[in-house]
Amino acid sequence: MVEKPQRFRVGDKPRDAVETEWEVFVRDEDDSPLRHAGGITAPSLEIAYEQATKLFAWYAVDIWLCPADGVARFSTHDLDDDAEPVRIETGGEDRSFE
Amino acid sequence: MISISKLLCDVGAEGDGLRYDAASETSKPQITEEKQRRPVVVWNLTKQCNLYCAHCYAAADTETADGELSTSEGKRLLDDLASYGIPVVLFSGGEPLVRDDLTELVEYAAESGIRPVLSTNGTLVTPEKARELRDAGLQYAGISVDGLRGRNDDFRGKDGAFDAALRGIRAFLDADVKTGLRYTITERNAPDLRDVVDLLYEEGVNRFCFYHLDYGGRGADISNVDLTPGEKRKAVRRLCDMTREYHDRGHDIETLLVGNYADAGFLVEYAREHEGRDAAKRVYDYLEQNGGDPTGERIADVDYQGNVHMTQFWQGYSLGNVRDRSFGDIWDDQTNPLLDRVRARDDYLTGRCAECCYRDICRGGSRLRALSAHDDPFAPDPQCYLHDDEIGIAPSFEASGD
Repeated sequence: MVEKPQRFRVGDKPRDAVETEWEVFVRDEDDSPLRHAGGITAPSLEIAYEQATKLFAWYAVDIWLCPADGVARFSTHDLDDDAEPVRIETGGEDRSFE
Repeated sequence: MISISKLLCDVGAEGDGLRYDAASETSKPQITEEKQRRPVVVWNLTKQCNLYCAHCYAAADTETADGELSTSEGKRLLDDLASYGIPVVLFSGGEPLVRDDLTELVEYAAESGIRPVLSTNGTLVTPEKARELRDAGLQYAGISVDGLRGRNDDFRGKDGAFDAALRGIRAFLDADVKTGLRYTITERNAPDLRDVVDLLYEEGVNRFCFYHLDYGGRGADISNVDLTPGEKRKAVRRLCDMTREYHDRGHDIETLLVGNYADAGFLVEYAREHEGRDAAKRVYDYLEQNGGDPTGERIADVDYQGNVHMTQFWQGYSLGNVRDRSFGDIWDDQTNPLLDRVRARDDYLTGRCAECCYRDICRGGSRLRALSAHDDPFAPDPQCYLHDDEIGIAPSFEASGD
């Protein structure tokens, strides 16, 4: 039996005071999965991409950037004061396989 | 952080174990060996500051910022850090004393088994506040002074800042809180360096930390007043000479260098020049254990909004946010390709860093300065001041007096 995790919706507090925080996703090679690689602070998408290129140009075939406030985060980690528990109906059938 | 006084004068300090893994070689009580494997965490409690310093890596402002970690979030962060085995939290800012929960957080850290230390401009420290922080468990206060009165106040953007910092230093000393100087060396204030040390030593300060300018926050805006490599070399040589002079006169001051690991190679050269090859070998061995630039390994930063950085100076890139994941999960995430390469940077350094015989004790210096100067985090640190002939051959410890 697999225990269902209790996740919280992380609050929407800003991640930078002056500019914009951009979540960075990179893909190693054409057939590799996209993965999160931290965040970059920049005033615009163009400058965020420039920064990401400097940091990951040696490595990634794809770089995706997303404004941090455009991401909804659900986590079992509940440090955030605004973290709200999220409960959804998943039916009565117990999951038996991981 | 490199201790000149430890390496050249063999003065032990409580933090040696964190720098040299040399707890058995000092008479001072040391932080436990197990915790040496975890980074020291700088926590920028707030972006707000009552001053506006020209070189502030955190680009602090006179106004508070939205989204600062609250008191309850801060305590949960400290719980996280304690369970991960963090040895030391450096409360920083902005100016941490603008937060009215600083004492509460310091006390919580101490009760959690984390050693709380403070970085402050000192101007808001009253005798009552100093005693309150001492009673809460504060172990050390580093106070920033960047020159004598006129130059410091100009640098810090406020008349009276020097005198206010001096009052703060006296308040901590009167409260028996170990207190040290933080001094960022630029071409503007390099001439004041010795006078500031002499003045503060007379006040009772015996620990002096000298920072090289890193190019983060407003520090990037004033890279034009950074010392040239040649000037850096002279400044570090003066600090080494000054440390030995003090010790020769029986004054056991502690002097440290932060932010430029070319200093490591220079100290080996300096020891060889003044004390011979055995001393140079001893200095090299200590620094090899120290492990060079600590970015992404022995130092970490959590900013006021919870973003985790590889060093406090590199605020433009974050590994994650403690509101999303625990600090330990972020720090141990080996899928982050940049963190992975920074930690294995010996294999990726280019240019003169790749060939340098001091690579093992320096590890390329500041990756942030390399990024700023060359658009490449693995390029050479532009502020390395070692000569080509010093770094071109493996250290043999044969020569002396060169």
